[in-house]
Amino acid sequence: MSAAAETVQERQAKLKGLGTSRKRVEDARFTQGKGNYVDDIKMPGMLFGDFVRSQHAHARVKSIDTSAALALPGVIAVLTAKDLEPLSLHWMPTLAGDKQMVLADGKVLFQGQEVAFVVAEDRYIAADAVDLVKVEYEELPVLVDPFKAELPDAPILREDIADSTEGAHGPRRHPNHIFTWEQGDKAATESILDEAEVVAEEMVYYHRTHPCPMETCGSVASMDKVNGKLTLWGTFQAPHVVRTVASLLSGIAEHNIRVVSPDIGGGFGNKVGVYPGYVCSIVASIVTGQPVKWIEDRMENLSATAFARDYWMQGKIAATKSGKILGLWCHTTADHGAFDACADPTKYPAGFMNICTGSYDIPTAYLAVDGIYTNKAPGGVAYRCSFRVTEAAYFIERMIEVLAIKLDMDAAELRAINFVKKEQFPYQSALGWEYDSGDYHTAWNKALEAVDYHGLRRQQAQQVEDFKAGNTRKLMGIGLCHFTEIVGAGPVKNCDILGMGMFDSCEIRIHPTGSALARLGTISQGQGHATTFAQILASEIGISADDITIEEGDTDTAPYGLGTYGSRSTPVAGAATAMAGRKIRAKAQMIAAYLLEVHDNDLEWEVDRFVVKGAPERFKTMKEIAFASYNQAIPGVEPGLEAVSYYDPPNMTYPFGAYICVMEIDVDTGVSDIKQFYALDDCGTRINPMIIEGQVHGGLTEALAIALGQEIAYDELGNVKTGTLMDFFIPTSWETPNYQTDYTETPSPHHPIGAKGVGESPNVGGVPAFSNAINDAFRAFGLTHTHMPHDHWRIWKTAKQLGLHG
Amino acid sequence: MILKEEVQIPLDRNTVFNALNDPDILQQSIPGCEELKQTGDNQMEARVVVKFGPVKASFNSNVELDPSGGPELFKLSGSGDAGVAGFANGGANVHLQENEEGTLLTYEVNIDISGKLAQVGSRLIEGTSKRLAKKFFTNFEEALLSGQSAAQT
Repeated sequence: MSAAAETVQERQAKLKGLGTSRKRVEDARFTQGKGNYVDDIKMPGMLFGDFVRSQHAHARVKSIDTSAALALPGVIAVLTAKDLEPLSLHWMPTLAGDKQMVLADGKVLFQGQEVAFVVAEDRYIAADAVDLVKVEYEELPVLVDPFKAELPDAPILREDIADSTEGAHGPRRHPNHIFTWEQGDKAATESILDEAEVVAEEMVYYHRTHPCPMETCGSVASMDKVNGKLTLWGTFQAPHVVRTVASLLSGIAEHNIRVVSPDIGGGFGNKVGVYPGYVCSIVASIVTGQPVKWIEDRMENLSATAFARDYWMQGKIAATKSGKILGLWCHTTADHGAFDACADPTKYPAGFMNICTGSYDIPTAYLAVDGIYTNKAPGGVAYRCSFRVTEAAYFIERMIEVLAIKLDMDAAELRAINFVKKEQFPYQSALGWEYDSGDYHTAWNKALEAVDYHGLRRQQAQQVEDFKAGNTRKLMGIGLCHFTEIVGAGPVKNCDILGMGMFDSCEIRIHPTGSALARLGTISQGQGHATTFAQILASEIGISADDITIEEGDTDTAPYGLGTYGSRSTPVAGAATAMAGRKIRAKAQMIAAYLLEVHDNDLEWEVDRFVVKGAPERFKTMKEIAFASYNQAIPGVEPGLEAVSYYDPPNMTYPFGAYICVMEIDVDTGVSDIKQFYALDDCGTRINPMIIEGQVHGGLTEALAIALGQEIAYDELGNVKTGTLMDFFIPTSWETPNYQTDYTETPSPHHPIGAKGVGESPNVGGVPAFSNAINDAFRAFGLTHTHMPHDHWRIWKTAKQLGLHG
Repeated sequence: MILKEEVQIPLDRNTVFNALNDPDILQQSIPGCEELKQTGDNQMEARVVVKFGPVKASFNSNVELDPSGGPELFKLSGSGDAGVAGFANGGANVHLQENEEGTLLTYEVNIDISGKLAQVGSRLIEGTSKRLAKKFFTNFEEALLSGQSAAQT
């Protein structure tokens, strides 16, 4: 037998398991244009839906005249709130415990809000008919500034709940106020601020932006009136949740609903929520008895489906003169738009913003977040980050820089003085988290050495001298960031969405010939699950990753799970995969013991087989065991080799990283040029280094976009000023620098394979690194803080305000 | 958005003021004006086609004139609806000042544009609006002067 001649290492390599840079199995179809996205779904008799949207940010809808649209040949129906009301579908619940209009019910609250849904034979006719629907509006005063929401003359936006003083997250003090969420010890923090030697204070604004996935949102609903079954294909990051919500809303029994997420062209949080388009396509299919497709255009995506960020974070940080941080205080004004549709676990209306003590051992802290309604689109999703973690990381990493300026201290040293030490883990933070593991000093020192940090500072000082002497018009900024993420939501005891616990799942079926099928409750949107989950399993059960098919996204076949967002797939579903694999292995061990006529305990696992202890020539490979499991009668063991695991994680995982960005700024044009970007990530056990590298590159590029220009900006009338890709910044290869990646490996102690999740780290850590670099470039000239996005115009303006234009 | 500009017209103030209240002259002056009807004493309805970069919008507008401050001050306010393309609200104050060369018009236009126009064309709106305002007064002057010369012959 030639296989027997292979060494352990050779057999190990064949598995392509953990730690292998296995090529992505998805890419064969993606690179050949053979992906299957929602808009690729074509069915006989399929109709197309399109929305009439509000031009106004705040207006009463006085009348809707659909007659001209209905008269257009090819138009089948025009739905308005009146048509949905008898089904109680004119409003729908949001993920945050609020409710949202599906179609305008009496008024509109943001520009781009859905007013009517036109259903036609093709999308061109639908678009023409949209223009023919006449809506009469009465304009109302517009509220775009969250700080004006509670002024006496502020317009009341949500008349439906104006009188309710109790919201989904506690008391409301004003009709435009959604909730106040408090964490930590207010009195203790305030007394530390009163007594501290040094207090630095700053308003840190993390502007509104948008995930803007390459593929916009869409769905195809098909109601089969013969068997009563509804099938819904869509861009869903959480297909099982969509099925449950669709069942609760429509009254269709859950077993009669099949939700399918086909290939998804990027999600980044934008595809977590439930949108009016999904509901309207379902209703339209039920009404017409034909399949109905709805696909957003880019402008609709940017101006109506979920935005991200929009946090005004007022911070105070107290320290000793030598730089030891004593306390942190933060009050956040959170602009949630017209409906509170944030995608956060129920108990966390501001997500995990209370990770805002970051990587630092801050003994006392207090955080309060006020959610506010404005005439802007709803959302507040975690754009490539765990719930509000990027806001938290940006806040603390800016506050550290502001404190360093106040102390006249080096910002790298200030961080090192305050890091949570390796021996302090598991570390209890002042705002309620238990950090599972970390080794910040090692990572930090590695990063500083890799870039020759002190050399960079000398170079920067020289450039300032040259600038002052008139020898250059460029300044150099060094952007530091040490972030701690909190991902892998999460433990069912404190994490749920709409009451659904945030466990995840994996179901494995081993075929008689020793290949396997594994199905998970998550759904890839480009992360490469089909590649990496097979690798986890390969290492657990000794079957090559190439012989394992991963399936996700079809609720009729996949086990129930909460989906993919918040870097939760590896921490939760990845853990379920490993645990299910271990169940397979446990049964395989019994089978192998029977076949080898030894006791279970006399066997040991070796890569892909069970070997009799002390007799390495006697073994059974997983392939042999799989065949026997189906085809040999084994006393006391039922046939087959399958396992299911539903994994409820005991804690979150806490990936971290050290990023350094070197930027050069042209003072006269405001143009920024990234000279160097070093990114060290510690995501625990590394499953596929190549995919990690790709994730880091992608996340950093999105971070670059956010920090340097990308925003959803509104004018005072509530017009979205950045509704197209002409104004909404997406970096191309032109703007994207070369990234230098690195790692340390601190496994999670509670995760079955020690993995922590990485997809979002580069966004969380990247934004402060880029922003700190811009701010740092002007530090020598008296700048403490300037708001993102740092586009060329704003950089130029900063230079001008500092008097650098002479 | 507020636009301010001044133009010099070599005609006396009363002539200029009366022309500002004359629907025929206004129709000739408003760039892209396809139709203008007097609907009341100081009320007009107009259909105006405007191009903001890639978006061409046909505004159905209601305009109210306020000549009560004349001939020193002429005011107008109005709103235009371009359906799915968007809508505009605004007004203008035109000060008429007599001088040696005729009349100096100082205008202050206050205009808000909303809807898809504002989304797609926000970066174009200010430039376009300035250009249109300027064009209005150039056309206005031309219409007035040709009217004058026609009357003289």
